[in-house]
Amino acid sequence: MEKISEPFEFKECIGILKATGRKAASLRELRDILAVVRAGSIYHHTYQYFMRGRFLEYTNDFAQWAGEGLGERALSEELSNIDPYEFRDIEEVRKKLLDVIDGYLGHSPAPREAMAGAEFYFNETVTIIYPAGIRAENLAEFLIAIRFIDINAIYYHFYDARVRLGTNDFSSWFDRMINKPELAAAVSAIDPFMHDLEWIRRYIAGAVEVEVQRDMEMTGGGG
Amino acid sequence: MISRYAGIAPARDLILLRKLGEKLQGKTLLHINSTRAGGGVAEILHRMLPILKEVGIETRWEVLEGDERFFDITKKLHNTLQGDAVTIDEDMWQYHFEVNRKNAERLDLEADAVLIHDPQPVPLIAFKKGGTWIWRCHIDLSAPCRDVCSRIATYCQKYDASVFSVAKFAQAMGTEEFIIPPSIDPLAEKNRELSDGELQEVRDRFGLDKNRPILLQVSRFDRFKDPVGVIKAYRAVKKYNDCILVLAGSPATDDPEGAIVLQEVRDYAADDPDIRILLLPPFSDMDINALQRLATIILQKSVREGFGLTVSEAMWKGKAVIGGATGGIPLQILHGVTGFLVHSVDGAAFRIRQLLNDPEMAAKIGTDAKEYVRQNFLITRHTRDYLSAWYCLENSGKDVIEL
Repeated sequence: MEKISEPFEFKECIGILKATGRKAASLRELRDILAVVRAGSIYHHTYQYFMRGRFLEYTNDFAQWAGEGLGERALSEELSNIDPYEFRDIEEVRKKLLDVIDGYLGHSPAPREAMAGAEFYFNETVTIIYPAGIRAENLAEFLIAIRFIDINAIYYHFYDARVRLGTNDFSSWFDRMINKPELAAAVSAIDPFMHDLEWIRRYIAGAVEVEVQRDMEMTGGGG
Repeated sequence: MISRYAGIAPARDLILLRKLGEKLQGKTLLHINSTRAGGGVAEILHRMLPILKEVGIETRWEVLEGDERFFDITKKLHNTLQGDAVTIDEDMWQYHFEVNRKNAERLDLEADAVLIHDPQPVPLIAFKKGGTWIWRCHIDLSAPCRDVCSRIATYCQKYDASVFSVAKFAQAMGTEEFIIPPSIDPLAEKNRELSDGELQEVRDRFGLDKNRPILLQVSRFDRFKDPVGVIKAYRAVKKYNDCILVLAGSPATDDPEGAIVLQEVRDYAADDPDIRILLLPPFSDMDINALQRLATIILQKSVREGFGLTVSEAMWKGKAVIGGATGGIPLQILHGVTGFLVHSVDGAAFRIRQLLNDPEMAAKIGTDAKEYVRQNFLITRHTRDYLSAWYCLENSGKDVIEL
């Protein structure tokens, strides 16, 4: 297969967790802390929710706690439908979260407090990014790499990239470097809130495999 | 050493350990705790030091020396920090400090990073000569005795950072606080793979029937581990489901309450031949490993718990674990995914019945549980996190660090 001028350089990232020292036992407390907590903490509980690989019933920590900790399922549903990637910055996400919670507090009976030990703990992370030591010069090499790369690389290139670039790194490379706009569009179309990282890996590998097979058929065996 | 973890631990942990090792190459790291043998901290340090040395960190481990009075005071400190109402008077605080002062004269405290484990050596910060000092708190501070916690906080505030195992164990100490869970070592005797022959030998020695499901709880005979609750759950299950219950723990010769609880458990078990109470000598790591691998379902039905690493040890054997929803157990067991969390005897009985009657679900949970431990609770991740926290402190103020 033809070599590409700019190879895909796989990177990975981890988050080192830090406590902010703030916790909420009730929805009102959650709201009040949410209004003032460092932006990094909101980033951790929304965008970085997907770094854990497997998400639970809802799509961010606030929604998960509202459902699991307080039993407020309707609020969980509303919070789960917030797409943090729609907003320009974290302050806008903060405002949206506050609007939803304020609306809920305004028209619903006061929710119960969380059980002792099940309070919401506001955390934040320092993100450490490092090269995985693997690069793909062409789509066939990419296919092997995506199958075996550490799952955190999928997070970094699929989710973290949305904050950096507004799209995912895979689609960006497929589109710009190997002229595969359809493949790029297929990966961009994955609903980032509905699948875990392993599913995303399998989906991308499957779509790339189809392209590699097609290329080989077109060129009579690749080369 | 690190290469022995290849194919077992996630590759990212090994890559990052080496990269952080390059960044911190030749720097010195000093661990100080209060015992070289016994207890989880010493166990982890024994396993972690060779890894740190291999990645190029010059690591030392020093142990605090103290007399009986000192350790009596620090035991009380430990208990009050976990919520017990015990008075620590001014004389005791002074003695705590004085023993640390004497140790500071004896020990070489110079290092680029110093990791002080638990409250016994916390006053050593007063004798800091340089470097980055981190207080590593392994105990649950979620509901401490306020006065004692405030006093400890006066020491903590002088540290560059503190480290807690779980966010809910942390207190607002006024310094940076990292959350780093503890870990198990997959290569340790307690966790390594065992041969069929080794398993068979243990099965024969303890007379465990090959054809009957085994429920197992490994724990001290301590009311917080609720061994009587486990027997109650087993009895509720037994009505429709044949099984054997194994309660394995060490005899509590130095703990009068342990002996009382053991007797209660024996009385409650009465003469049921299907309840096996196994008293294992200390360091029976291979036997515990084998029992976990022979078990069908493993329980850790604690009503109060620290981190509860026995849960990860059991999950590492690919077993479905039923754990009390307390301490660090919910961090390890994602309810319905990597095990079941329960709040009562009825809850434990219900989940045992579910798992016994649906072996496919039990197998799926066991597989997911092992993978969850692999991703989150192995010693390679733990070591990587210590180095990451240290490196974060050297790059203070940055939310993103690119290596």
